[in-house]
Amino acid sequence: MAKRTPPLGLAVALVAATALTVAVQQDAGALPAGFPKTGMVCTPGSLAGGARTFNLIAKTGHIATPDGNSVFMWSYANADAPDNGAFQSPGPVLCANQGETVTVNLTNTLSEPSSVIFPGQDSPVTASGGSAGLLTQEAGASGGTVSYSFQASEPGTYLYESGSDPAKQDEMGLYGALVIRPSIGANYAYGADTQFNPAHEYLLMLADIDPALHHAVETGATYDFNALRDRYFTINGRSFPDTIQDNGSALLPTQPYGSLVRIQPNTPASTLPSLVRMINVGSSNHPFHPHGNHTTQIAQDGRTVARTEHFGETIGSGQTEDFLLRWEDQDHWNPANNPFPVTQPNYRNLTFKDGNTFYSGSPYLGYKGTLPTGTVSQNICGEWYFPWHSHALNEFTNFDEGFGGMGTLLRVDPPGGCFTVAASTSIVGGTLVGGNVSALAAADGSYYQVGPKTTNKTGNMTSGATTMTVASASGFPTTGQYYVRVQNEVMRVTGGQGTTTWTVARAQLGTAAAAHNGTLPVSALATDWTATFSGLPAGATNLKVTYTGRNCGNTTGTGCTAIASNLPQQTVSVCNFAVAPVGCPAATSPGWTTLPAPPAQPQAVGSTDVASTWSLPTSGTFVGASGSYKGQVKVLVHNQRWTAPNPTPFSTGGNFMQLVYDAP
Amino acid sequence: MSTTPSRRVGGLLVLLLATAGLVGTGSGAEAAPVTVNLCATQGSLSLPGPATPTIWGFSTTATSGDCGAATATLPGPVLNFDQGDVVTLNVTNALPGTRSLHFEIPGITFDPGPVEAASGATVAVTFTASAPGTYLYQSSGDAGRQTAMGLYGAMVVNSSTPNQAYGDATTAYAVQKVLVLSALDPDFNAAPDSFDLNDYTATYWMINGQSYPDTAGGINAAPNQRLLLRYVNAGFDNTTMALLGLHEHVVARDARLVPHAFDAAAETIPAGATEDAIVTMPASPAPPVAAGYALYNRQLHLTNGVLNTPTPAAGGMLTFIHP
Repeated sequence: MAKRTPPLGLAVALVAATALTVAVQQDAGALPAGFPKTGMVCTPGSLAGGARTFNLIAKTGHIATPDGNSVFMWSYANADAPDNGAFQSPGPVLCANQGETVTVNLTNTLSEPSSVIFPGQDSPVTASGGSAGLLTQEAGASGGTVSYSFQASEPGTYLYESGSDPAKQDEMGLYGALVIRPSIGANYAYGADTQFNPAHEYLLMLADIDPALHHAVETGATYDFNALRDRYFTINGRSFPDTIQDNGSALLPTQPYGSLVRIQPNTPASTLPSLVRMINVGSSNHPFHPHGNHTTQIAQDGRTVARTEHFGETIGSGQTEDFLLRWEDQDHWNPANNPFPVTQPNYRNLTFKDGNTFYSGSPYLGYKGTLPTGTVSQNICGEWYFPWHSHALNEFTNFDEGFGGMGTLLRVDPPGGCFTVAASTSIVGGTLVGGNVSALAAADGSYYQVGPKTTNKTGNMTSGATTMTVASASGFPTTGQYYVRVQNEVMRVTGGQGTTTWTVARAQLGTAAAAHNGTLPVSALATDWTATFSGLPAGATNLKVTYTGRNCGNTTGTGCTAIASNLPQQTVSVCNFAVAPVGCPAATSPGWTTLPAPPAQPQAVGSTDVASTWSLPTSGTFVGASGSYKGQVKVLVHNQRWTAPNPTPFSTGGNFMQLVYDAP
Repeated sequence: MSTTPSRRVGGLLVLLLATAGLVGTGSGAEAAPVTVNLCATQGSLSLPGPATPTIWGFSTTATSGDCGAATATLPGPVLNFDQGDVVTLNVTNALPGTRSLHFEIPGITFDPGPVEAASGATVAVTFTASAPGTYLYQSSGDAGRQTAMGLYGAMVVNSSTPNQAYGDATTAYAVQKVLVLSALDPDFNAAPDSFDLNDYTATYWMINGQSYPDTAGGINAAPNQRLLLRYVNAGFDNTTMALLGLHEHVVARDARLVPHAFDAAAETIPAGATEDAIVTMPASPAPPVAAGYALYNRQLHLTNGVLNTPTPAAGGMLTFIHP
């Protein structure tokens, strides 16, 4: 496993260790391959015939705190791959299924006897090895072992912790989560009415730390347990703002578990709630406040309860509570066509703390606005953030400095994902009829309308001539071959693109060659325009293009003349920045890649809006990676129409175009 | 002190039970006027260490106002009444110094009359024990310092249905145990009038006035028996009690049924509150240790006294349920 950046406090030790080429602090693993960046990550142990086995090592290590401190901890490590006993705090999240026999083998490397107890397990926990202790069988100091076994009889959220010298060992960090999934399925918390979206399962384990005790334990000094004063307050072993770092962050090599809760509003297609499992392994009762939201409590200590809703709930010491979280975008407010019926406050009346904000500058979900000069936004795509934190505000600190400590964020992404609207448009084959890029921002009936380019030919032209002189090539494609119409004949421009002398192939698309004398209109048979999205965050994934547009029988004015038959054919493409010329400058540039079905293209699009959403092709560089194209996505909308024998012109109206993606 | 519900008549039996720390009356079948004489006096408590802090505590006496033979206990005796009893409590203030005793039972409305007993005086409070449940009685005099000194105890009002904590059949039990939770700072108890309460640091955490290992006698319940735990938090701290290896079914808080009873493995009893929970013993109990199922303070108040040591001995608010 690759070496990761050590915390600052260990830098000196690491230099020495590297020089001696001895083993350095390994990664906190506990994160199997392909682990998600947010959400609960299980350590599965090993399963053989309904018997699940975990191998734990009680050992010492250090964690980093956001104020730069390094705190000595005791914890349980996973002895198995991929962790191989690397220290981590808290202990691994042990996951088992209802009905399995769970065995936990403990090897104790600490300087005093230690053990594991399983509060909430009502099936008998049998122990083998070790010697009798206060609350359970113990493994002796400095290498002793003990083995526990029990039936995972009831699903739920549980904890495990030391049953030896608990006033000291539990405070020192010997704790972890135990999740038992019900036999009806891993996407249920308990019974049939507790189904949740498995992509949104979160664990928030609360704990508190008195560094004076930890220092005393590290140095073998005495300590008065009545004087306990907690200074660090953690969720999943980290203090805010470290809590919102990803799972497995290289910045926190011994604290693998993040606690950012990230959801999307429910939509008709996605109605399942998120599940938030909470555990308090600390010695204080913690009043936890899911700021701005109600959560629905469904269970306590691994048993369902009558449902209640909370925006503040005390998680008692040693308790577990489970909550469902559902977020409905009930009102669909948006700045374009459903704005708030009140005036928004003036920025001059607001404070942006530290010039650094998670606010997007817009109160509308999914939209970004302008922030005051000097304010740095951490907001990626207009998502909303709510602080979730202990409402005992002394716990919302790192050694009395706020904000910090027992806090994390709820991130609400826009329904379906982040989205962005086009930043600019460009006509690469056609002429502007009306509107501009802002017409594409919402499906509101305002159109960005582009007609086929027209010019005039001059001079006389026989039915066999292959050269045509035009007044202007402006607006016609500058490369590639394209069709134009003169009177009732269609020709294909094969040379001289971008100049006023075109080489043409005659009598195309079933038309007949004819003489065209004098000055006559020349019309393109297609409209081609591009929309450019900019500022896409690096690492955006799962991109989708949504386009809503129509074609009208008129080429001027704001109305839309219906087209009853021979509907124009629409093809929407995306630019592959890996293909030269970079950035797909022309309508016929080779980088344009047709968006793959569904829906299949081309599509017949008449005078009624057609809305389509395509996922981007799987291979290609569709987000510009460098230079002026960095963070860009370019989309080409191409429409063409041919009606024999008497071609009639049309224009294309773009109503709405957006890019939807999963932000990093 | 594990008890089965007592059914008794006559003043003599009242006295006998008083010696055992249980005071009450009634035939169970019919309500009756009951009189209990309480004395508040100074005494001392025996804690592990050993430590013998000074306490103020309640005790019962045969004759109202005669505290000559009274020995302060912490907690005070369990006052045990039957639903409907018309109760008179003669509370005598025999505390040192000149201070007024202020008697109260949260959740009980006394008949109109004084509740304060001046130094050396006796106040009679009367009420009808109309609602069954688990209550806390205390003196809140001296702005709560009297409570902190130990002037508190549990009161149980038995349901008119035998072996049921409340009228509801889901509160049936076979055996019961009153658990008075509290804490004590010997430095405060040594100087109750002058101690700066900002410096209050409890160092002893007790169940029924005892800290582990003195609590090792524990609670007894046989296989399949329903054990009613009557928690009374007389301490200053919201106290979370964990039960290792079993869930308890929480049926009532503050002498009222909760609308939706639930199962808990760790349950917080607020300071000044009471809670009733029923543990159903397994048919084949197999606790993690021979001592039984540990019932303990999960806030890790599991040490005794000031301990400047690398590794503290087990103590504090810990006991076991023995199968």
